[in-house]
Amino acid sequence: MATTYLDLSNEVLRELNEVVMTSGTFSSATGIQSFVKDAINKSIFDIANEEPQLPFFSAGASGGTDPFYGNVTVASVAGTRWYTLKTDSSSITTDYSSVDWDDFYLTTINVSGETTPYVSKGLKFLTLTDWKRYYRDSENSDDAEGSDASHGEPVYVIKSPDHRKFGLSPIPDKVYNVHFYAFAKPTALSAYNDTIVMPEQYSNVITARTRYYVHQFKENLQQASFALDEYKKNMRTMKSNLINPTPKYMSDDRTYF
Amino acid sequence: MAGSQPFSVPLGGGLNKSTNSLNLLQTPGVATKLRNFEVSTEGGYRRINGFSLFGDTLPNTTNDVEGLLVYADGVLAVVGDDIFFSQDGESTWLQLNKASVASSGDNFSTFSGRSELALTGIDQCEFAIFEGTSDYGEVIITDKSGNNKPFLFKMTGTSANLSARTYFTSQITISGSTKAKFCTIHDQHLVVAGDPTTPNTIYYSGTNDIDSFSSTGSGSITLEDKVVGLKSFRNELFIFCQNSIFKLQNINNSSTVAVVPVTKNVGCLDGQTIQEIAGDLIFLAPDGFRTVAGTSRIGDVELGTISQAIQPLINDIAAAANTLQFSSVVLRDKSQYRMFYSTSSDTAATSKGIIGTLRPKGFEWSETLGIQAPAITSGFDSTGTEKVYHGDRDGKIYNHNTGNNFNGANIEAEYQSPDYDYGDLGTLKTLDYAKISFTPEGDAQPTLRIRFDYDSLDTPQPADVVLTEIPEPAIFGLALFGSQKFGASEQPLVRQSLTGSGHSNFFKIFSADTNAPYSINGLYINYRPSGRQ
Repeated sequence: MATTYLDLSNEVLRELNEVVMTSGTFSSATGIQSFVKDAINKSIFDIANEEPQLPFFSAGASGGTDPFYGNVTVASVAGTRWYTLKTDSSSITTDYSSVDWDDFYLTTINVSGETTPYVSKGLKFLTLTDWKRYYRDSENSDDAEGSDASHGEPVYVIKSPDHRKFGLSPIPDKVYNVHFYAFAKPTALSAYNDTIVMPEQYSNVITARTRYYVHQFKENLQQASFALDEYKKNMRTMKSNLINPTPKYMSDDRTYF
Repeated sequence: MAGSQPFSVPLGGGLNKSTNSLNLLQTPGVATKLRNFEVSTEGGYRRINGFSLFGDTLPNTTNDVEGLLVYADGVLAVVGDDIFFSQDGESTWLQLNKASVASSGDNFSTFSGRSELALTGIDQCEFAIFEGTSDYGEVIITDKSGNNKPFLFKMTGTSANLSARTYFTSQITISGSTKAKFCTIHDQHLVVAGDPTTPNTIYYSGTNDIDSFSSTGSGSITLEDKVVGLKSFRNELFIFCQNSIFKLQNINNSSTVAVVPVTKNVGCLDGQTIQEIAGDLIFLAPDGFRTVAGTSRIGDVELGTISQAIQPLINDIAAAANTLQFSSVVLRDKSQYRMFYSTSSDTAATSKGIIGTLRPKGFEWSETLGIQAPAITSGFDSTGTEKVYHGDRDGKIYNHNTGNNFNGANIEAEYQSPDYDYGDLGTLKTLDYAKISFTPEGDAQPTLRIRFDYDSLDTPQPADVVLTEIPEPAIFGLALFGSQKFGASEQPLVRQSLTGSGHSNFFKIFSADTNAPYSINGLYINYRPSGRQ
């Protein structure tokens, strides 16, 4: 069973020898109880800010729309360079919190009318500075003159300065499916039975961080320091478990010595 | 901040309702609520005993009990408009208000067969006993109605069987149709007062001739104030009036007999509140309980009061005095003065009282709730045993201060401490645990409640905790196998983990059950200071 907001709050309150809440008193919490509730949300945001690409922040199941190619798919339009990362988002406050820019993938698989041989390749991330220096002028000039000479199969993906869109270079000459991995912003817990997105075994990261704040509130700096150390250790362990769980190895692909 | 800190409080001082919350920080042992507890003569606060029916027979159906007196080997009771006597309350009570009783006394059968002496509209009664030379003394009864002459009763004969005793009754004529509301025996005289047409006059009988107000030594004196009570104290008779107090001196010397004012600033709210305790007379004045010796010595309105700690309570009583019926009693073995008050429409559950326990530093107070006692008495019976009885408005008479319940009903008791700031009101404190010193007299299960920051709605308040681990200790020579717990401490310290934090907090220990009494002797609290928010 997932850990609820009430469970977490009461766990912290018990650790601090404070009065616990019930589902009935949760919404009207005052004093230290209210502070703990706030601190839990703050702690969750701290975790997301420190490591936004933790798997439980994933915007969706990977391969949900097209196996093996990410958890978000955007279809390109011939002659259009820029695409909103999150199509139903109206502002940066509702955008994805993080996108894996090193893992954009371009394909014509599942594109209507396309047949083999399909295009299927990774898009290299190009910094905005390099794109502006080497490609923007020529591609935009052609485009402005009504020429599609510079349109073609995209090779690079670029990030818009406002972080809300990705761009393709060259400008697509037809429809492609662009797949990438995105991570959602955590939503603040509100109701007593709201559940946290992370597995229960990592709830101690939240509680340690929360205790850090509460001890600060109580001017108990030594205990706050202990709680901060515990948070860092727990955070490190969680990241180790969830982000780099695969075997590590080194390869050398040099062919000429 | 520092680690955990200790804080210990021995309980004492009684109820304090007249000190503001910050001043109370300096007196953590007092109680801000102390209901159905009494200040123990050994220190701490003890839940009071209950009461149980005196026998299973009512003297006079459900009429109001207007007066009680421990007399001979039983109880004399005025119920409704009649007067009764019983040794145990188990069989039919013997009616005493009989007419035409022989001056030499009637035997039981003759007395029982006499016609009833009609008494009219009897209200709360006062009793005076002229010990004389008879077996049990002579009882004079007056009542507040002002309708009746003083009633005289005497019983002689030491047989345990009432049928072998002799009975004397009569009505005492003061002067013509003069009635009396108040009576007392003073220096060989019966003194009465309160006739509705001469409310300022006291009448005293002849010397050693209590049923004659015309024989040698008799007389009357008219005062400037209305008499509300009489009390003989040492060699003087104190006359309590509405707005003044006098004392009658030299009653046996017609040339020097005199009434001397004690005070003209203080009166007595009700003569039923006057009692003698610890070499002093205590009574309820409009500004609080006072002692006559204190008032006499100081002669000042304020300095003589002994109940400043419960002044708000007194103010409420004084404001409603006209609608209240008072009664009072002294429990000698507890050094206690108890005063009960209620309106005629109060139920037993809403009837109140005040207990004052005499401690080395003076009276310490507590309240009662649930004891309806318009009539109450204490005294030594013919065997020398102190008995205490009270009667209610349902015609029932009870053994007072006995048992663990109010005639079967729960005793709702509560003690509440002042808010403790642990020396610094500005520091937030997190409570770890408390050790509560109890003296249980049987298995007790009071409940502990803690409220932070003066019961602030903005501070989370912990749930109540039932203190279930207070076993009755096994005392060598007293313990019964299977009843008490071997190894239990006589005065256990009950350790209770606590939760919550605040800048201050109070403790409330309460119970509403029929368990045995218990005393709360003190509190030890372990807390952690945590910042100055």
